[in-house]
Amino acid sequence: MLRRDYLFKKTAWSLLTIAFVLVLNFFLFRILPGDPTTAIAKDPRLSAEARQGLARRFGLDRPLFLNLSGGNPLDSQFFIYFTRLFQGDLGTSFNFNRPVAELLGERLGNTVILILGGQVLAIVLGITLGLLAAWKNKTSFDTAAITFSLAAWSLPTFWLGIILLIIGSTYLGLPTAGRGTVGLMSASGWARAVDLGKHILLPTLTYTIVLLGEYMLIMRSSVLEILSEDYILTAKAKGLSHLQILRDHALQNAMLPIVTLIALNLGFTVSGAIQVETVFSWPGLGSMIFEAVRRQDYPVLQGAFLLVAVSVIVANLIADLVYGTLDPRVKAP
Amino acid sequence: MKGRLWARIIPALVVLTLLATACGAPAASPTTAPVTSEEVPAAAAPVVLRIGMSGSPDSRNPGNAWLTEAFDLMELVYDSLVYLDFAGNYHPELAESWTVSDDGLTWTFTIRDGVLFSDGTPLTAEDVAFTLLAYRDWGEFGYQSGYTLHFADVQATDPRTVVLTLDMPIGNLESQLLFCYILPQHIWEPYADDVSAAVAFENADMIGSGPFRLVEFRQGEYYRLAANKQHYLFPPVVDEVIFQTYSNQDALVQALRAGEVDLITEMPNTVFGALQGEANITAVHGAARSLRDYIFNVIAPEDCPVEEGGICSGHPALRDPVVRQAMAHAVDKQQIIDVALLGLGTPGIGLVPQALGDWFASELLAEDYDFDIAEANWMLDEAGYLDSNGDGIRECPADMDCGGRSLDIVMQIPSDIGSGAREAELLSAWWAQIGIKMTPQVLESDTVTANCCPAFDFDMLLWGWGPDPDPSFILSVLTSAEIPTGMSETGYNNPEYDRLFAEQTAELDHARRVEMVHEMQRMMLEDLPYIIPYYDEGVQAFRSDRFTGWPVPAEGSGDILYLQDPLSLTVVSPVQ
Repeated sequence: MLRRDYLFKKTAWSLLTIAFVLVLNFFLFRILPGDPTTAIAKDPRLSAEARQGLARRFGLDRPLFLNLSGGNPLDSQFFIYFTRLFQGDLGTSFNFNRPVAELLGERLGNTVILILGGQVLAIVLGITLGLLAAWKNKTSFDTAAITFSLAAWSLPTFWLGIILLIIGSTYLGLPTAGRGTVGLMSASGWARAVDLGKHILLPTLTYTIVLLGEYMLIMRSSVLEILSEDYILTAKAKGLSHLQILRDHALQNAMLPIVTLIALNLGFTVSGAIQVETVFSWPGLGSMIFEAVRRQDYPVLQGAFLLVAVSVIVANLIADLVYGTLDPRVKAP
Repeated sequence: MKGRLWARIIPALVVLTLLATACGAPAASPTTAPVTSEEVPAAAAPVVLRIGMSGSPDSRNPGNAWLTEAFDLMELVYDSLVYLDFAGNYHPELAESWTVSDDGLTWTFTIRDGVLFSDGTPLTAEDVAFTLLAYRDWGEFGYQSGYTLHFADVQATDPRTVVLTLDMPIGNLESQLLFCYILPQHIWEPYADDVSAAVAFENADMIGSGPFRLVEFRQGEYYRLAANKQHYLFPPVVDEVIFQTYSNQDALVQALRAGEVDLITEMPNTVFGALQGEANITAVHGAARSLRDYIFNVIAPEDCPVEEGGICSGHPALRDPVVRQAMAHAVDKQQIIDVALLGLGTPGIGLVPQALGDWFASELLAEDYDFDIAEANWMLDEAGYLDSNGDGIRECPADMDCGGRSLDIVMQIPSDIGSGAREAELLSAWWAQIGIKMTPQVLESDTVTANCCPAFDFDMLLWGWGPDPDPSFILSVLTSAEIPTGMSETGYNNPEYDRLFAEQTAELDHARRVEMVHEMQRMMLEDLPYIIPYYDEGVQAFRSDRFTGWPVPAEGSGDILYLQDPLSLTVVSPVQ
């Protein structure tokens, strides 16, 4: 089982990384060229009074790091940012005029529904097909699998999305945007579920195809490598069946690289598939990040970066822990 | 073994999902209550018009909204004292009629009787007076405070009469009242003395008196409006309008093709031609109130606003009108329109676009600088800008303070202007033929703003404007008073222009004001602080098999195209 100091070390490192990201995140958006007030003001004809009002509302009238103008030296953007952060306040979006935390929360659910479905499908299919391809090495199935996975892996996401969108909407009558048909209020729960299914089908499919190729290739090469090991030969010599060898001897070892990959990808789940969400106007975090970049909405970007960073770090921590279970050598001191 | 493996991976997935969802509740409940069954009678299916757009309103509060999408929504749910038709004329809306005193300082409005806000409260002169005074006093209140600067007092003398006193005569008062949406006093009164609270107010229900009323609003996704069938001027034929956001324009166009939406009000120009030929779709184009400009830094050293951060580093040769005029002769505006806009634009003259109706000095079109490279070269030769070292680039004449310096300039282009780089390439090639080397430099738009004004740290900029229906604001951009404020992008200083500007602001006679505005455009064209290559055209497309009666501008009329305006949305009716 997991050793306590291993767990402790990994968690401590993760917390340290998060703290670093917090500080970096603050400065990252303040070293950008231009005055953030121009980014909020959006219009040059704004009166000086209105401009000052905006700066005050968003706290941009205060010094960046230390307030040296007398009074409280901690009355600066930096310390206010941290104080508020610990209160769960990520600031107010320039563009949406709403608290960032509230916006992120609203979008996160949508992103998770979309991405998790795609991930699970891609993981299950990718591992199965990769395993089959390795097992049927040098057959026509293997060739087809390699060709498909290379093609899928190299497809530009937005292009695949648009093609699927046009085909789906022209020939299958699938919707082109959003998370549900607007105005379907009086409909029954079942009708709304079907509606959600129709809306989520194409984005999920796009996301699955894009991920699938990578999982298949890694799984296949990983299994092939294991199958050439001496202990597999031993297993064959013992007279075990192919199935038994694969299941009991090869699979667990072959899973190691896949676990790393899954953890990495899951970490980025929170940022959403920016391209998929944008193509299908899916109201998730990815399309919000895209919109925030377009509109120079720094508080939203700052909040989203934080969320992404934290989830990548947490996913990595989980990967480390899973790794420790799969491969006892990892947690050896 | 297999089971054990999954037993280890699946919990990891679950943990991550929980972690992710724990950061915030998923969005399930809409921010505004859904339509209840009593509002939509079950008997006849409501007529729903669906509009696809690529943006979303940034706020429901007029004091906190900046995006066009937000003002489209305001136009539909609020009324003002006046409204503007597509040809640019003002008509009475909430004000049934008005009179002006001889000195132009006192305006007396008669407010329409029996108008109701969407919550059922009557709209009276009190609401009008409250709103106009609030806009005046709320200095931080978005755009509106700028429209009420000269309001000395507003009084409701009886429930149907409002007396507005100005501190100076205003020639374009209607155009300022247009954006003063009348708010219900009983909703906004608590914020009367606290502008920060007024700006921060969410205004979720948007109680107004307009032809539509907001029933559901999901920012970044969609909003729904129900028709106000009792509206005194524009009772809509349709029952409901839905505006849905598409974050990608290909999907937007596809949604129209698939019949998912009935109208789209933006699309890439490349798609326009293709849509025109399609069954059941009508694609239309018409004037838009926006323009492209090539900005010269013409600020004189003595005008440099040093205190405001003026650097004033522009190439001195660009301060010579002859050089600018020669450069204008080497710009083929039609080719720019054909290449950058695929033909969907009209040649520009000055900052007042064609879409502004009679304010636009159309007589100047014939006097514009012809595309004539030889003429341009001749002008520069005559003025003494010669290429003395044979490198293909002219130098300043020795007697100028830039004597011997090459005509080697940089044009800064904000990266968010899609066609900017393409236009600059064309310009660069033309100007190379007259011995002027121009290097395009694409920069992040904040950087361009910082270099622009009042820093004047550039030679040339490529940018654009979206003027108001009234020309006053856009004309103010060239006055010398705006040099230190950062509104002047050129540093242009012409006392005669400043005098005309002040005069037209106070001129109450429309014809005389038009004359002055045309004269100012002539000055712009002669002095050329800007080259205006084109005015944009708007492109829109709708399903002709779904709704009929769209007011579409006649070809070449110069009328504005604005199909999501209340004027359009209230008149269209479903195809039988």
